[in-house]
Amino acid sequence: MSGNSNGYAVEVERLAKHYPPDIRAVDDISFEIKRGIVFSMLGPNGAGKTTTVEILEGLRSPTSGKVSVMGENILKSCSKIRKKVGILPQDFEPFDLLKPVEAVTYWANLFSIDISRKEVNRRIGEVNLTDRKNVMAKKLSGGEKRKLGIAMALVNDPELLFLDEPTTGLDPKARRDIWRLIEDVGRRGSTVLLTTHYLDEAEKLSDDVAIMHKGKIIAQGTPEDLVAEYGKSTVIVLVGAGRKGLDEVRAFGVQATELDGDVLISCKTRAEMRSCFEKLASLEAPIRDIYTKRETLEDVFLNLIGQKMENGVLQE
Amino acid sequence: MKRILSDVINSGKMYMRSTVGTFFTLVFPVLLILLFGAIFSNIGSQSISLKVQNLDDGPYSQMLTAILNETGIVNLREIPQPEDIIEYINDESLSVALFIPANFSENIMAMQTNSSLSLPVTLILYGDFTSSSFTTARTALDAASSIMNYNLSGAHQMIFVQSASAVPSESFQFMDFFLPGIIGLTIMTTTLFGMTSMCAEYRSRGYFKLLATTTLSKSEWLVSRFLIYTIILLVSILITVAVGVFVFDMSATLTPLVLAFLAIGVLLFAGIGMLLGTVIRDPETGVAIANAIGFPMMFLSGSFFEIASFPPYMQTVAQFLPLTYLNDGLRDTMIYGNTESALGNMAVMIVIAVIFFVLASKLMSWKEK
Repeated sequence: MSGNSNGYAVEVERLAKHYPPDIRAVDDISFEIKRGIVFSMLGPNGAGKTTTVEILEGLRSPTSGKVSVMGENILKSCSKIRKKVGILPQDFEPFDLLKPVEAVTYWANLFSIDISRKEVNRRIGEVNLTDRKNVMAKKLSGGEKRKLGIAMALVNDPELLFLDEPTTGLDPKARRDIWRLIEDVGRRGSTVLLTTHYLDEAEKLSDDVAIMHKGKIIAQGTPEDLVAEYGKSTVIVLVGAGRKGLDEVRAFGVQATELDGDVLISCKTRAEMRSCFEKLASLEAPIRDIYTKRETLEDVFLNLIGQKMENGVLQE
Repeated sequence: MKRILSDVINSGKMYMRSTVGTFFTLVFPVLLILLFGAIFSNIGSQSISLKVQNLDDGPYSQMLTAILNETGIVNLREIPQPEDIIEYINDESLSVALFIPANFSENIMAMQTNSSLSLPVTLILYGDFTSSSFTTARTALDAASSIMNYNLSGAHQMIFVQSASAVPSESFQFMDFFLPGIIGLTIMTTTLFGMTSMCAEYRSRGYFKLLATTTLSKSEWLVSRFLIYTIILLVSILITVAVGVFVFDMSATLTPLVLAFLAIGVLLFAGIGMLLGTVIRDPETGVAIANAIGFPMMFLSGSFFEIASFPPYMQTVAQFLPLTYLNDGLRDTMIYGNTESALGNMAVMIVIAVIFFVLASKLMSWKEK
């Protein structure tokens, strides 16, 4: 653990959070987040992402371990850290009876910042809420509320922005709007710590990803590195082959899995892929389509955990 | 200071925009004053209706009814002679009715001419003994029959009873007594119910967590709550007193001690509310328990009626309720001008306020476990 001048926004060493009798919400994890990157903690519900992030935010006390945020010890210098970070908590709800212009002004004042009406309008414009700036927050949509939350979290121009599941429960358009905002923040040079259970979100936005499961970080790296390390290069997809197709493919001596009625065959090398196609030529099971795809974080997750994840819930 | 001021302004806006908060703080006390004022402000000047069946056509029954009318306490109405009075009372659901027998004047005249005679000259007052109308009618009838007895026997009244106000220095009416009770009640309901539901809502909706992400400290937030409730309740008190003075001509006085009672009352009941909102994790249960505590306290602490009129065991219970000391203290300073007694009540409140507020502040945490 070092001081202010190093290149890390967050340094975590052997962090643990236990609850009686024997729940290990965070189980001895260590990681660093470089300054100026978008870092994602990816994992299903209950993986320990929010607990970890809330410890980093100073909202929860750790059982053991060392945590440094922007070069400061979170347990000793929480108030100092507050000025440097912006936080959008999980399940953020704005104050119902304040309008966005009032909420942003209020939040700036809570950081002892004098903010002009022009500046408030600019910040609301940044999150595309100009047309809704004088509407009571309770009348905003879910996506608009999260945008307001991001505007509030950015009001002190934070060096580190925590976004705890910012797109959970939002429709695709609202999710894409939030993604654009996160990209904008990243471009400005701020560090972003994002927790999510959306694999596509993590893959699209992140410079670095840590996959959490049962309180532990089971893999960490850039999305490309993770795919290279834990992926299986190329997947042949037999659309609609179903159980019958899976049995036939396995009878050919080829390893395969079934997912949503499709049969997936992972090939690490070109030779392996050629061999597979030769065998598939005699396949009798009806298939609707056949194509190949490069593996994604979703496949990495499936390979690591052994289960698919939908909306934060591991599928059997 | 900037943070506290901003929190006061914005939380104040939210409070005023919430219809429930505004209603219970600003509208409800005024409604109570208007309602109770309409019922009680003319107590003593209203007469009751007394139905009379007079079977006597002599001069003395006329004399009796004339005297009864003069008391101003009863307003006589006739029950037709053919009616059976008992049936009439049942049919009309009367709580009181007077029966004058046919031989009323005749017997009186017989006794006047022959003083050795002892004839029954009886008036019957039918009705429900427990009703206040019966008691009032009985009082009027006793007074009228006494006057007739004096006159008929030629005696002179030697002892007179005179009524005099027992309230020091000024004359006060029921509404003056009632006004401090309403103020005490409003301070209690606004802060106790307000803080309980606010703490529960702030925790369940994640507002405490949200505030913890800023540089606003918990102690600054507590100062802000104290200021918000004090300011809002000060406005409420001014409106309530203005309505009392201008509509019902009340003569209760706003003294500097009222402000002190307001501040300490806010601290006390906000402390209890905060404690409930913090200790009880389920918001709905917290609010239900605040109601279960607050509503009986309204009645048992003498907000509406004098504690002295309660049964002895309820008077004992009242001594353990903090609102009793607020109501008594406000009456001491606003009505009786008894500063010493007011300060005594205030001292009790300060002790209770410090205990609850400190305990609640210690237990309340914005952080997650």
